[in-house]
Amino acid sequence: MTAALSCENLVKRYGDKTVVDHVGFRIDPGEAYGLLGPNGAGKTTTISMIVGLLRPDAGSVRVNGIDVAEDPVAAKRLVGYVPQEIALYPELSARENLRYFGRLYGIPRRRLTERIEEVLEAVGLTERGDDKVQTYSGGMKRRTNIGVALLHEPKLLILDEPTVGVDPQSRAAILDNVERLVGDGMSLLYTSHYMEEVERVCTRVGIIDKGRVVADGTKRELVSELGGTDTVELVLDGDVEAAAEKLRVVEGVTEAVVTGQSSVRLLAVGGRHLLPGLLAAVSGVAQVTAVEVIEPDLEAAFLHLTGSTLRD
Amino acid sequence: MASKLGPLAVIVGHELRSRLRDGTALLVAFVAPVVLATLFGVALGGDEAPLRTTIGVVDDDGGDFPASVQREAMETEELREVLEFRQFPDEAVAQDALDAGEIGAAIVFPAGFSDSVSAGEGGQVSVLESVDAPYAGAIARSLVDQISALVEARTLAVKASLEAGVPADEVKLFVEANGAEGPALRISGDTVAAAEVDMTVHYGAGMAVMFAFFVAGTSARSLLTERQLGTLDRLRAAPIPLWTALAGKATVGFVLALVSMCVTWASSVAIFGTEWGDPVAVFLLLLGHVFAATMLVLLVASRARTDAQVDGFVMAVSFVFALLGGSIVPVYNLPDFLQTATLITPNGWVSTGLGALAEAGAGVSAVATPVMVLFGIGIAAGVPAFLRFARGRFA
Repeated sequence: MTAALSCENLVKRYGDKTVVDHVGFRIDPGEAYGLLGPNGAGKTTTISMIVGLLRPDAGSVRVNGIDVAEDPVAAKRLVGYVPQEIALYPELSARENLRYFGRLYGIPRRRLTERIEEVLEAVGLTERGDDKVQTYSGGMKRRTNIGVALLHEPKLLILDEPTVGVDPQSRAAILDNVERLVGDGMSLLYTSHYMEEVERVCTRVGIIDKGRVVADGTKRELVSELGGTDTVELVLDGDVEAAAEKLRVVEGVTEAVVTGQSSVRLLAVGGRHLLPGLLAAVSGVAQVTAVEVIEPDLEAAFLHLTGSTLRD
Repeated sequence: MASKLGPLAVIVGHELRSRLRDGTALLVAFVAPVVLATLFGVALGGDEAPLRTTIGVVDDDGGDFPASVQREAMETEELREVLEFRQFPDEAVAQDALDAGEIGAAIVFPAGFSDSVSAGEGGQVSVLESVDAPYAGAIARSLVDQISALVEARTLAVKASLEAGVPADEVKLFVEANGAEGPALRISGDTVAAAEVDMTVHYGAGMAVMFAFFVAGTSARSLLTERQLGTLDRLRAAPIPLWTALAGKATVGFVLALVSMCVTWASSVAIFGTEWGDPVAVFLLLLGHVFAATMLVLLVASRARTDAQVDGFVMAVSFVFALLGGSIVPVYNLPDFLQTATLITPNGWVSTGLGALAEAGAGVSAVATPVMVLFGIGIAAGVPAFLRFARGRFA
C-alpha cells in the first residue's frame, strides 16, 4: 500500500547545528499520526520540509508516492497545510481569503463557489463569512486558517499546533472537525503541545526530541514501553529542587522533574509501593503535602523517552 | 504554460487590487509623477528661453586653432544663441573672473598648441570650470572634446605619413590635402546640444529614475509583509512553481514603476513642452531602467528580515544610485573617480541615453548600449534574487 506520507532520513542543518537529524516516519492512507515534541524539537522544521517550504539537506519526502523534490507541484496538490501562525489577509473577509487561495490552487470558478460555502459551513463561519478577518476572535481566525487548507479536498492534512491560543469552545469545534475529517478517510499529520489532543485525534504517535524521532507507535505500544512504571505527582512544601535531587536516587525512580514551584513529577516502577521510601527521602528538605499516583499514559511515556515534560 | 501563468495572474490581480484598495497604486503611478514633473517644470523653466553663458578664452598660443574654434562656434546657430566668448590675457585672470561669476567656464590654449598639432605632435587644451555654472562647463568640455578628437586624428595622420616616407617639412600640407582637418575646425551644434540636455529633462528624468526604485521597492516590501502575515508560506506551500510569488510581486512593481515613469515623461512633454527625444528610444530606456530597478530592489530586499528593513535598504540604494548616477547632481559636477562610478548605476545609463537622444536625429540605435546595459544589470541582479527565493532563504 502506498503511504499517504513517508519521510526518510530527513536532515536539516543550520551551520553546525542539526535541527532535524535523520527523521523518518510513515502515515498510511486514512491514518492520523501525531508528532509530539517540546518547543525546538524540530517539529515545524520537519513539517516545513514536508510541505516544500524548506529543502532538506538530506533525505526524502513522498506524498502518495510522489517525491516532493522531484515533482513539488503534484505533491503539494495532495496536501492541505495549516501553518502554526494564522496565515490570512486580515483586511479581507473569510470568503475573499478562501476565494484567493482557491484560485491559486486552480479550483474551477463554479466548483470554488460551492467549496467555499461547504468549508464555511464545516468550520461554522457561514454567517460571518463576509466580515473582515481582522474583526474575528482568535478561535474564528483559527477555524478560517484550517478552512483554507480544506478547500481543495486534500488527501493529507497537516496541522501544525492548530489550537494554540484558542478558547475552549473553538478548540472543541476544531477537534470535532478534525475527527470528522479523519473519519471520512483523510490522512492526518498533527502536532500539538496538548497531549490529550493527540491522544484523542491520533491513532499513532511519533515522539521527537532534539531533532530525532525517539519512538514511534500506537499509544498502547508507547505506554507498554514503560513496563510497570507509574507517574507519581508530589506536592511539596520546602526546597523542591533539593527534594527532586533526593527523589532521583531512590531505587525504582527512573525520572524526577520539577513541574512547578511546589510540585515534582516522578516515573517510578511500582510507584504505589514506593511511597514510604519517597516520603522518607525528602524529609529534612521538604514536606509532602499531597500525592497522586497515575496509571501509565502518553505523558508518562514522553517523560520516560525524553527526560522532560512536553511543555518544558 | 497556461497552468503556470494562471497562478501568476491570480497573484498579480490580488496584488494590484490590494494596491488600488489602499490607494498606493494611484499615488505612485499617477499623482506623484505629475506632481514631480510639474514641480521641476515650474522650478527649472520648462520651455523658456535657454540659458546664456560666457566662456573665457586664454590664448597663449596665438595660432590658427583658438581663432578657428571661436569663429566656428559663433557660426553654429545653436551656440550663437547661448554663448559668447571673452578673451583673457592669462589663466589667473580667467580664474578670477570665473570665481567672481563673470564667466561660466574658460578654455586655455597653451603656447605652441597650433604648431604642435600641425606637426602631428598632439597637444592639450584645459578647461576651467565652476560648480556654480554646470551648463557653461558642459559646453566648454564639449568643445574641448571635439578639439581633442581632431587633434588625435591629426596626430595619427601625421605619424602615419612620416612613417610612409613623407618629408617632415611637407607633412602638414600632405595630410591636409589628404583629408585631415586643419585648424579650420568644424564645430557641431548637435554635439554641443548633447551637453545642454534641457535642465527640466535632466532633473525631471533624474527624479523619475530615482522614484522608480521606490515604486518597485513597494513590491519587495509587500513580500516581507506577506511573510510577517504568514501568507507567504501558504503561497509557497501551494501547488505552483516557487518563483510565482516573487514574479507576481515583481510584475506589479515593474508595471507601476513603468507607468509612473511614463506619466512623468508624458506630463513634462504635455505640460511644459519639453523634449526627451525619440519616443521609442525613450520608452526603451525607461523599460530597461524599470527592469533593472525592480531586480535591484528585489536583490537588496532578499537580505532583509522585516518590511521596515526593506524600506531602509531601498531608500539607501535609491539615494546612493541617484547621487552617483547624476539624478540629483549633474555627473560633470562630480569628482573624476565618481564620474566613472556613474556607469555602475542604472541612473547613469539613463542619463547617458537621454544625453545621446538630445542630439538631433538620434533614435533607437543611439540608446542601444544603455538599454542593453540596463537589461544586463537587471538580469545580473534578478538571477541571484530568484535563486535565493527558490531556496527558501529569502522572505
